[in-house]
Amino acid sequence: MSTIIIILSLLIVFIFFLYKNKAFYLMKKNVKEKEKIEDSLKYLYDCEYNQRPCTIKSLSKKLSISFIETTQLINKLVELGLVTEKSDELFLTAEGRQNALQIIRIHRLLEKYFAENTSIVESRWHKLAEIKEHQLNVEEANQIASNLGNPLIDPHGDPIPSVDGTILLENTIKLTELNEGLTAEIIHIEDEPEEIFSLINSLKLYPGMQLKVKSIDKENVLIEIEGRIISLKKDVADNINVKEIKNEILIKNFNRTLSSLKAGESAIVVGLSKALRGQQRRRLLDLGIVPGTKIKAVLESIGKDPVAYEVRGTLIALRKNQSDYIFIQ
Amino acid sequence: MQEKIIEKCANCPAHNLNHLIRLGIDMTDYDYVIALAGNPNTGKSTVFNNLTGLKQHTGNWPGKTVSRAEGGFIYANKRFKVVDLPGTYSLLSTSTDEEIARDFILFGQPDVTVIVVDSTRLERNLNLVLQVLEITDRAVLCLNLIDEAERHQIQIDDKLLSKKLGIPVIPAAAREKKGMKELLQSIFEVATGQYICKPYRISNDFKELTFAVDELEAQIKKCFPNLNNARWIAFRLLEGDQKIIDAVRSGEIGKIKLQEEILE
Amino acid sequence: MEKELKQRELLLEVANKLRWKIGENVHDLILESIYKHAEEIASAVTKRKVGVQKFDFDSFIDRIVTNKWTGFPIMFLLLAIVFWLTIVGANYPSSALSFLLVDTIHPLLRKVAEYFYFPWWLKGILIDGAYLSMAWVISVMLPPMAIFFPLFTFLEDFGYLPRVAFNMDAIYKKVGAHGKQALTMSMGFGCNAAGVIAARIIDSPRERLIAIITNNFSLCNGRWPTQILISTIFIGSLVPSYLAGLISAGVVVGVAILGVLFSLIVSWFLSRTLLKGEPSAFSLELPPYRPPKILQILYTSLIDRTLLVLWRAVVFAFPAGAVIWLVANVNINNLSIAEHFIRWINPSAVFIGLNGVIILAYIIAIPANEIVIPTILMLTVLTTKLTGFGAGAGVMFELENISDIEYLLKAGGWTTLTGINLMLFSLLHNPCSTTIFTIYKETKSFKWTAIATFLPIVLGILVCFLVTRLWYILF
Repeated sequence: MSTIIIILSLLIVFIFFLYKNKAFYLMKKNVKEKEKIEDSLKYLYDCEYNQRPCTIKSLSKKLSISFIETTQLINKLVELGLVTEKSDELFLTAEGRQNALQIIRIHRLLEKYFAENTSIVESRWHKLAEIKEHQLNVEEANQIASNLGNPLIDPHGDPIPSVDGTILLENTIKLTELNEGLTAEIIHIEDEPEEIFSLINSLKLYPGMQLKVKSIDKENVLIEIEGRIISLKKDVADNINVKEIKNEILIKNFNRTLSSLKAGESAIVVGLSKALRGQQRRRLLDLGIVPGTKIKAVLESIGKDPVAYEVRGTLIALRKNQSDYIFIQ
Repeated sequence: MQEKIIEKCANCPAHNLNHLIRLGIDMTDYDYVIALAGNPNTGKSTVFNNLTGLKQHTGNWPGKTVSRAEGGFIYANKRFKVVDLPGTYSLLSTSTDEEIARDFILFGQPDVTVIVVDSTRLERNLNLVLQVLEITDRAVLCLNLIDEAERHQIQIDDKLLSKKLGIPVIPAAAREKKGMKELLQSIFEVATGQYICKPYRISNDFKELTFAVDELEAQIKKCFPNLNNARWIAFRLLEGDQKIIDAVRSGEIGKIKLQEEILE
Repeated sequence: MEKELKQRELLLEVANKLRWKIGENVHDLILESIYKHAEEIASAVTKRKVGVQKFDFDSFIDRIVTNKWTGFPIMFLLLAIVFWLTIVGANYPSSALSFLLVDTIHPLLRKVAEYFYFPWWLKGILIDGAYLSMAWVISVMLPPMAIFFPLFTFLEDFGYLPRVAFNMDAIYKKVGAHGKQALTMSMGFGCNAAGVIAARIIDSPRERLIAIITNNFSLCNGRWPTQILISTIFIGSLVPSYLAGLISAGVVVGVAILGVLFSLIVSWFLSRTLLKGEPSAFSLELPPYRPPKILQILYTSLIDRTLLVLWRAVVFAFPAGAVIWLVANVNINNLSIAEHFIRWINPSAVFIGLNGVIILAYIIAIPANEIVIPTILMLTVLTTKLTGFGAGAGVMFELENISDIEYLLKAGGWTTLTGINLMLFSLLHNPCSTTIFTIYKETKSFKWTAIATFLPIVLGILVCFLVTRLWYILF
């Protein structure tokens, strides 16, 4: 009796999955084509932006599909009026560019969303956005944008195109092009290749941070950033774009961290690192931890982490991974 | 409508003037809407309970009030509806609580916003007070837990504070039911326009922002000449606040001001 | 009209251009400036009396309760006092309530039903099933909660609980959770549903979900009596009688601590798999100590917590009681549904060191852990056909005398291994229906509710299986 029930229920589950899979397969085929179109537009925009030529060959390599399939895809794109072909080279039409910018907008908004509102680890933002960008429509993207307060820049420092497709382009230089002794702000961190990007992430380098080049030689760049001295290989440093800070008043004095404050000592906050972002940053600001605030370490917990600080008359406990990024003097 | 209420109240057991009748959740036919704002853990819910006779959960733990509570009372023959907003540190961030509080004060147009602060931590609480004063013209400050401040050897010059902020300031100890009468009287005076607030507005010292704010403020004034918190709107636009952007686009921002003038 | 519209659009365009010019630091700058003004105003109007610095009560207490040497002992002592008061204090009102609802009103209702010539099945479903299970839930559940929650709320209102979170945070940080989870966990010792609601104090969604899912590992009030009973019968009897009380109590505490360990391990596991991510915003405000208001505490803890939870439990207990009566009384081929099921499941149940009665009891007693033992006793009588116990098929009962229970259970084929496994399974099984419903209300997600429900069962089956295998190897 019992065996019959088990076998029957297994059968039902099996049939259910079979049925579901088939529907799923049919759906996937359409989705795949949309994804390919969007990915090619993005690639074409990338080529245009970096002033590189784009051919069917390079596109087929980028999308890892066969030459014939790529040709069919391009034919379709030309038919849709998104792409033109001129002596083997591919170009975006005005409409194609608009479409590409919309996808880029969704991608960058998603990354911003992951950074601000979720606890997804940094190295996964880009990949997740690559998948999700094909699933969102423009209205959904606008909803995300308005919930985030219409952000201008994504967490890698790239400008987010606006709804009407305008995009601000800033002139930056590579970190390796900066001379010794100069101070600069990180503007952009390239999110590909992934290994280098996650290395930069693990070093906690973010757009908006100020750095000073200590020395530079053939292989390495030695930088001072928020009181830390970091040596970067040249190929890593090449993925970081910066902008020199010429006005000395704007150079921040981020040397001593709040975590170095011992119980009973007081100090003045000079600023919050850009490593603190999203809800975390807003909460700290709301609690009154802003430049100029008097802060006193009052209580250490048993394991010395967290520590309770007196800020504007309130005792607030912070973990070390927050007080490491609050700077004092 | 006013006659009707007076008529109704003549039959009430206690119809003498200046007598508080707690109405609990009965909020029909109210004359004025009061919003209660404040940081978490300042005794805001206790003030709410004292006014309405309701028993909302309070606790010595930040963020206790989870949903918006409403109640009512009659004072001086006027019916008041009280809306207890979620306790927040600020009105600028994007958390749901702060949005509820901000939207109610801006778009809900309460007749009076009562800001409950913890006297022992005035400086921190003033952050929210200043933000509320940027948005609304009619507010009363309730200096709650004044007994505790005394215990901690803190003295607050409430007259000076009132002069500086341009709104009535009432020292109170809601847990001991102290200062509630004065608070009610102030709410009444501000609601009926007997007391005219001159709220403190943060002046133009945003170093790197001043040029942008000035430019935008001029533009806003051109579109909405009646608006008296144009500078605040400018800040919100610069922060990319979608609600404000939509309200500007639809022109709703301008209507807010108009309604107030009709009432006055 | 048209012109105004255009003007407004122009305004927004200007705003957008300016935003690009000034960058993304607007929020930081605005707050910095507001706080500067706040500081100016505050310092102008505030005067601190100097001179004789009065003794600073707050920082004195803080130094003691967060001290390296005294912090944890004080915390455990306070928790122990709360539990002791709850368990000891609940005995008397519980038996009074049980005397009233079960021993007095229940027979009365039966008589009334007989007087009105109720058909036997209607009487069974309504009075022996639904009413009795509801009466049971109220009499066993109400007193401990009515004692535990006011005590807990007292500590909360005084301001002590945030200090507990402060002390415990280091441990919770290691497993990827929030220090405040220590509080929701302690709350869970009273009632898991209340613990789940209490998780609202954790403001980051990831950590809050972890706290909700792992709350069930706190041994709740409804499970303490089961633990104490089984431990007395099966563990206490293994040691000399003068040690029995101490050892069996120790074992129960051990099970509770095991629950804490499981909650930490599962938190760690969740924060590395399903709820992967970096620890998000952490800021814990340590409010000043305030003298608690006793009346208000009683009101809020009784109305907001006790009655809310009790009401949900009663709502679920009512239909479940009817089901319990039905499965024991509806016969197919001369055998009740309950017996059919027990026979069918028994081989698999024995395989993991339990038995069919226990499994069925946990399935049908899902509304409240409090009715598990009465259901087990009833089902044991049903399957063993012993006479002289209880009031008929499908009627739950409790026995005054522990040795009677022991006799009954051993007649049902129970061994020490069954006892140990029941204690483990009582710790590691699905939350009661009240808690499941509360989890759904708090998370608004079927997925997380399902995970919170099934994860403990899987763990429970696994642990019971391993213990059983180990037992057979050793003995």
